[in-house]
Amino acid sequence: MGWESWLISTFARALAYGTPLLLGTLGEIYAERSGVLNLGIEGMMIMGAYAAFVVTSKTGQPWLGVIVAAAVGGVFSLIHAFASITLKANQVVSGLALTMLGLGLAGVLGRSWVGLPLFTPLTRATVPGLSAIPIIGPGFFTRQCLLAYIAMLLVPIMWYILFHTRIGVTIRAVGEDPATADSLGVNVARVRYLCVVVGGIFAGIAGAYLSIYYRPAWTAGMTGGIGWIVIALTIFAFWNPVYGLVGSYFFAALYFLAYRMQMWVAPSILKAMPYVFAILILIFVSRGTLQKRMGAPAALTLPYTRGEE
Amino acid sequence: MQKKILLTAVLAVVLIAGIAVIGAAKAYVPGTPITAGFIYVGPIGDYGWTHAHDVARQIVAKEFPWLKTVYVENVAAGDTVSTIDKLVNDKHCNVIFTTSFDFMNGTLAAAKKYPDVIFAHCSGFKRAPNMATYMADFYQVYYLNGLMAGALTKTNKIGYVGAFPIPELKRHISAFTIGVRTVNPNANVYVRWTEAWENPAAAKEATEALVAEGCDVFAFTQDSPTVVQVAAANGALSFSHYSPMYRFAPNNVISGELVHWDKIYADFLRKVYNGTYTAHNLQNVDYWWLLSQGAVEMGAKPGMPINPIFINKLKATIVDDPELGKISVYDLIQTRLDQMANPGITFDPFQGPVYDRKGKLEVPAGMWMSVNSLTSMQWAVKGIIGPWPGEP
Repeated sequence: MGWESWLISTFARALAYGTPLLLGTLGEIYAERSGVLNLGIEGMMIMGAYAAFVVTSKTGQPWLGVIVAAAVGGVFSLIHAFASITLKANQVVSGLALTMLGLGLAGVLGRSWVGLPLFTPLTRATVPGLSAIPIIGPGFFTRQCLLAYIAMLLVPIMWYILFHTRIGVTIRAVGEDPATADSLGVNVARVRYLCVVVGGIFAGIAGAYLSIYYRPAWTAGMTGGIGWIVIALTIFAFWNPVYGLVGSYFFAALYFLAYRMQMWVAPSILKAMPYVFAILILIFVSRGTLQKRMGAPAALTLPYTRGEE
Repeated sequence: MQKKILLTAVLAVVLIAGIAVIGAAKAYVPGTPITAGFIYVGPIGDYGWTHAHDVARQIVAKEFPWLKTVYVENVAAGDTVSTIDKLVNDKHCNVIFTTSFDFMNGTLAAAKKYPDVIFAHCSGFKRAPNMATYMADFYQVYYLNGLMAGALTKTNKIGYVGAFPIPELKRHISAFTIGVRTVNPNANVYVRWTEAWENPAAAKEATEALVAEGCDVFAFTQDSPTVVQVAAANGALSFSHYSPMYRFAPNNVISGELVHWDKIYADFLRKVYNGTYTAHNLQNVDYWWLLSQGAVEMGAKPGMPINPIFINKLKATIVDDPELGKISVYDLIQTRLDQMANPGITFDPFQGPVYDRKGKLEVPAGMWMSVNSLTSMQWAVKGIIGPWPGEP
């Protein structure tokens, strides 16, 4: 007991609740790095959650549910990609529309699935070796969802691709200065489409995690605002997957601690704590000079038309 | 030219006024078909509060051939009046049920605006000649569930995940704790508030926090089965709330609080239909329905008062009741259930003496609490551990 059990339980919940945040953030980082702000995370996430729940219920195969959720998230994100890249619509409006559409559509489609238990949720796994490390082992590597470990592994991969490969340079170039990238022969629209779809796929998988592991159940509006936290975390992460991991786990830990510490601090203050923290970071990050250094894509939210500057 | 504009304006005003007159509600004539509108605060897919109201709506819609129902879900408190406008003018509703405490002032304003429409507001305390109030309350059932929790806990720590610290929840948690302490004076109820009716992530993390504290039996006020699922994943026991949640964890759900809003809706609508209730005599119509009216039920699912796998343990646990002497918890539950479920109620969880956790006598010996004091209750009984905003 004592501080060790506090740390272990906090780490365990940071990973469990932080995983959907991390998945969503990894995807959104790629979309925003290419210059497309996607406020439709919540909508794509809940479509993924719905798809995963239905597929898993019908087939008994949770991993098939995850794959379908990824596909549904990706396809759903095409709506935003088409509107904001091809039609050059306002990204904020188009993203918000995607969220509303997703929440509404999943709510209507999901009516008959409410209140049904899921008999084959994603199972838990313990990582051999790592789980023997004191405190970190039982906290992070014991009886967690396999997807949580996968998300963790994806962080260095996504980071490496973004900052140390040709693909990553291309993505960032499109997000920073699409005109120059274009003049160098990069297909700006194609890169942006791909990045938005990657964002959709990740949001879909995050949704699957929620509906077939974290809950596991289906209810209307079950993403409960996680998509919005992802938007804030993306900025908090300075558009860097590694900081995305730190931010997601840190937010989740605070969220859990808010309930553990209710005995001593007023519930309403604690409830606000993770959000206050997010706002403070946002204020800090959005100070102009800092913004440039920290890596906000210069062309974020700006549609690109060849020959217009 | 000016004349023409004036003429057009006058014509427009007359037209609009005409439409308004045609659109205005007419007084309901008993025996004619009723269109009842339901306004929900959440999605009908929440598997909690709103879901339970909608299940009831479907039951009465099927039961009465003269009844047509319409509903609007996800209505924010600020949109109460405009939603009622639509139900009255577009859907021609004669009766409107508003099913959330937040809708109280909006419903009252609308009741004044449409004096010929009949309103009924759930869980509030403001009434008008054409606005009744109704509530199916769980506090007796929570007490009975508390008896089970007290007998089945091994750690003597029982978790309660509450939504908002309002009198309704405070009453339920206190009744539950009285039950727990009746059979197990060493047990405590640990309370956490999520500040949301439905937020699965909040419910989940609050439950995990209580598991980390050592709680092994859970009750809750949340509009989702999340607490039941999280408890089961950690090997802990729990109770259904509002909707039957037994199937989410058949080995872990002991019993629960189930609602039958249809009993109230059927009674109210029948009385409107036969002319007992009109838009002029509802000032004192307040449904406060409990076990004896069948508006609430103790059970893991309908027809299963106690999950059979826990019955032996409850029968084997013997307590010394000051009034009933040596008695098994199972028999104590049955006795109390009978005393509260049959007409001529002879027991109440809050029968005095009841002290709050600060030691103040709240209900003197031999006394019962009035409905008003129950619905405005702010104090917490002994045995509740956790924050209690608004505690006197």
